[in-house]
Amino acid sequence: MSNLLEIKNLSVVISDDKRVLVNDVSFELKAGEAVGVVGESGSGKTLSALSILGLLARGLRIDSGEINFQGKDLLKLSTEEMREIRGNQIAMIYQDPMTALNPVMKIGDQLMEVLDSHEHEIADRKAHILNGLAAVGIADPDRAFDSYPHEFSGGMRQRVMIAMSLLLSPQLLIADEPTTALDVTIQRQILALVARERKRRQMSMLWITHDLGVVANLVDRVIVMYAGRVVEVGTVEEMFKAPKHPYTAGLLASLPAVGNNREKLASIPGVPPKPWQVINNCAFAPRCSSAKDICFSHRPELKNNQTGSVACFFPLGGAS
Amino acid sequence: MTLTIRDVTKKYSIKSRKTVVNALNGVSLTVEKGKTLGIVGESGCGKSTLARLIVGLEQPTEGSLNWSGAPLGQGVRNGLRSHHTKTQLVFQDPYSSLNPRQTIGACIAEVIKTHKLRAEDQVNARVIELLSVVGIAEDMQNRFPHQLSGGQRQRVAIARALAAEPDLLVLDEPVSALDVSVRADVMNLLVDLKNQFNLTYIFISHDLSMVRHISDDIAVMYLGRVVEYGSWSEVLSSPKHPYTKALIQSIPEHTTVRGIDFENVLEGEVPDPANLPKGCAFNQRCPIAVPACAEKVPELLELTSHHLVACPEVLK
Repeated sequence: MSNLLEIKNLSVVISDDKRVLVNDVSFELKAGEAVGVVGESGSGKTLSALSILGLLARGLRIDSGEINFQGKDLLKLSTEEMREIRGNQIAMIYQDPMTALNPVMKIGDQLMEVLDSHEHEIADRKAHILNGLAAVGIADPDRAFDSYPHEFSGGMRQRVMIAMSLLLSPQLLIADEPTTALDVTIQRQILALVARERKRRQMSMLWITHDLGVVANLVDRVIVMYAGRVVEVGTVEEMFKAPKHPYTAGLLASLPAVGNNREKLASIPGVPPKPWQVINNCAFAPRCSSAKDICFSHRPELKNNQTGSVACFFPLGGAS
Repeated sequence: MTLTIRDVTKKYSIKSRKTVVNALNGVSLTVEKGKTLGIVGESGCGKSTLARLIVGLEQPTEGSLNWSGAPLGQGVRNGLRSHHTKTQLVFQDPYSSLNPRQTIGACIAEVIKTHKLRAEDQVNARVIELLSVVGIAEDMQNRFPHQLSGGQRQRVAIARALAAEPDLLVLDEPVSALDVSVRADVMNLLVDLKNQFNLTYIFISHDLSMVRHISDDIAVMYLGRVVEYGSWSEVLSSPKHPYTKALIQSIPEHTTVRGIDFENVLEGEVPDPANLPKGCAFNQRCPIAVPACAEKVPELLELTSHHLVACPEVLK
């Protein structure tokens, strides 16, 4: 498989004081692949995703790096060229559909707007939208077309947003915690819907979440971020069976065990540092039980191994 | 001492919409002193309403709540005061439940002073003691909530609840807003505190893995009713109610890589509590429903002495 997306040495900073939020992040996504980006608040996972779409908030900017999508560096495109890619070739769904959808505009008009603002060969636009709504499990697409977002439940709004993101059949769908605000049985419905549509359309997906259970069941590969950097990349099987980075292992160990084991939970002491506080050391070293002197004086680079890569001087399960 | 909740209903009338929201539709539960009751369910099942009734923030429409025989929160001013010191509530989001303009020390001291639990000159020593109990260093007492991490803020919220010297602590999604790596810490703290102070917990969460970790008994709620109740191991390892089964199957576990079944998904959504379906509230989504389910509300009946299910089909 060829790479659909390649992010190289991406850094995002606060424009005013140049404090680093995303630090030298590189990863790639193959055509048709689903990749999960896992990390806690402030780890830089959402900012990395927003950088791909050129949607960073005012006050933040990309300091360095490349974002190659189908061989084109998105960072070198004009606003017009970027607009044509956004929504058309790369679409995004967000955590809270109530804030992502326009509350004073009918669903049908919002979906129509997507078609209006891009070039495409869809003849009957309304029929295309109604089909799209039906495909995401909305029982009465005609009624939905004339409804406002507040008339829907959270799960139904998320379905509308997914329908909107798929209207122009993007090659890449970026999802930023789209099921975190939903109830578990509704989350399950949405996960099933996304898994089905991705398979049907052979679409690539970047799924951002802090929920390791979702990642384990939905994606092919996992990227773990910590304090603005990628600390581990691996296949979902390897990552959950034999994590290499002590942070990944710590996260997995801190989850309550399944079954009848209710021993004290293994916690990771301390809290993550701010990305800009990490200068020449491993960001995780102060919380790491296997840290040695070098971890506090040198920054471990991301090194490839057989199944992925890890940024650690003393990866678990032997040298990488 | 026992918490006894008997036939509690709670209705909210919404005048502008001329509707009545049925938040609780007849809930009966008991919790023995020193035990933890886990309550699980999805939005609108009434779990947070129940929490508010237990701590006396609101009164039930019908039914009664008793703590060791005495009624909880009957609205008498003095009665309410003493009630507040027996039951305390810890909310999901410590950032909105702590006053942003009050130092964490002052916030805890306020509770001690309000309930006159220590002499004036002992208040500060007590604040420091409470902070140390939840693992917050003494020198942080002059900090404001925004200067703390999420985990530390939740620890302060727990210390504030403990300041009232309660018997019963209602924990409403206490770790849901926290990052994964600090959740375990706060859960361990809660388990320690319970043993240390012989507390009784009501632990409310949508996260079954956390409920499984801490509960002695578990009540599964759906649309204002308890549909299944029993010891944690019974309810989770051999769930009987079709809703409990669907809930457990819906959770993507990190231990089953690519193991989730995307074919058998519980369809539909929770009905509107302002417009309750006839009969069993779950009948329209239920895979084993029979016509009778849409007629009569099922009673919570004993399957074994400590496992109750509100489903005549599985009790057959």
